[in-house]
Amino acid sequence: MSQVHLGIWKDWRLHVIVFLIVVFAEFIGTHQFSVGPGVVLLLPMLYALLIGLGLYFTPAVKEKQSKNAEPLIVLGVTLLIAKIGVVIGPSLPQIIEAGPALLLQEFGNLGTILLALPLAVLLGLKRESIGMTHSVAREPNVGLIMDKYGFNSPEGRGVMAIYIFGTVFGAVFMGLIAGFLATLTPLHPLSFAMASGIGSGSMMAAASGSLIGAFPEFENDIIAFAGASNLLSLSTGLYMSMLIGLPLTEKMYQLMTRNKAGKGQS
Amino acid sequence: MLKNIQEWIILLSIFAVVSLAANWIGYDVMPLSALPGMLILVAICLAGLIIQKALPYKIPSVAYIAIIGIILSMPWMPGSSIVVEWTSEVQLLALTTPILAYAGIAIGRSWTDFVKLGWRTIVVAVFVLLGTFLGSAIIAEVVLRFQGII
Repeated sequence: MSQVHLGIWKDWRLHVIVFLIVVFAEFIGTHQFSVGPGVVLLLPMLYALLIGLGLYFTPAVKEKQSKNAEPLIVLGVTLLIAKIGVVIGPSLPQIIEAGPALLLQEFGNLGTILLALPLAVLLGLKRESIGMTHSVAREPNVGLIMDKYGFNSPEGRGVMAIYIFGTVFGAVFMGLIAGFLATLTPLHPLSFAMASGIGSGSMMAAASGSLIGAFPEFENDIIAFAGASNLLSLSTGLYMSMLIGLPLTEKMYQLMTRNKAGKGQS
Repeated sequence: MLKNIQEWIILLSIFAVVSLAANWIGYDVMPLSALPGMLILVAICLAGLIIQKALPYKIPSVAYIAIIGIILSMPWMPGSSIVVEWTSEVQLLALTTPILAYAGIAIGRSWTDFVKLGWRTIVVAVFVLLGTFLGSAIIAEVVLRFQGII
């Protein structure tokens, strides 16, 4: 973001379109519906993303606007981080108290290996599954895989595939499941708040936003814990996947494919 | 550097105006009462962006921004109550709506890549995100309970 392209502010077409999308999305407001015991929240930010995506395919948005929009996401995230900072400050004593939980839940990112890797192998994916499931595939992880296996390797294709899915649908998906899982499962909203910080600003915003919608009485705690957890993930995520995630994925993959070959058609 | 600062100020102002509108329509906070808080947030961002440019370390500017925000609002910091009171008028969700609107327009270009992914990738991707989210939440739950915090 240090290389903010000069002259983007002159793209009035983009800013007017975004202004209209935001006004429209906020006018629709928040809606919710129940699926079984869980609640799905539809928040203005989700409409905003989908309307923006839809408009890309109309003449209203041209290639230029789409390109100019990118650095603005980053700039918007800085404002969001500033807001999270001033919520964290007053809760600092509480966050320090919850420090061990905050640190240890970083290991939860390994849950993706335990849950998604067997599934990927089961679906018949080969070494792609290593790139796909060693982490949540945000920018640092993509860099790690490209560095280790190369851009045109199966692992590289795998990590890019998950990266693209996360970029296009990560926020919507996290926004939809966060509130739903928090109302469906007996886990505490604060645990989910910590889990929301997976190292992507927009996914964290969507997940914690849904949690706030579902549990407004915990609003400041949710923002503070999700924000602290996200900062932690951003700073430790790369080392986590480099030192633990990727070696573990490699080991598990070898174990699973060997078993599969050994057992034959069982 | 000067050109960059100008650009940042203009862009952050545009972003602030859109967010103030979202804050008004979605959360019934009049733009005038949210304006002081928004100015504080913009100032924190600017400070972080400038520090990142000025210092030789390769630390992302969001790290500086978060730290400045935390320091300004810590209970033992003089004037922190004003920072907290004013910025509390700016709703977090009012900031996320414009971010995701810009994101929607930007990701349109990734759409063709997405369409090529195939159903197996999408199934795996769903479980990748679900695995991280649930894994972290379960660990957090266990530790927080153990500590007696929840």
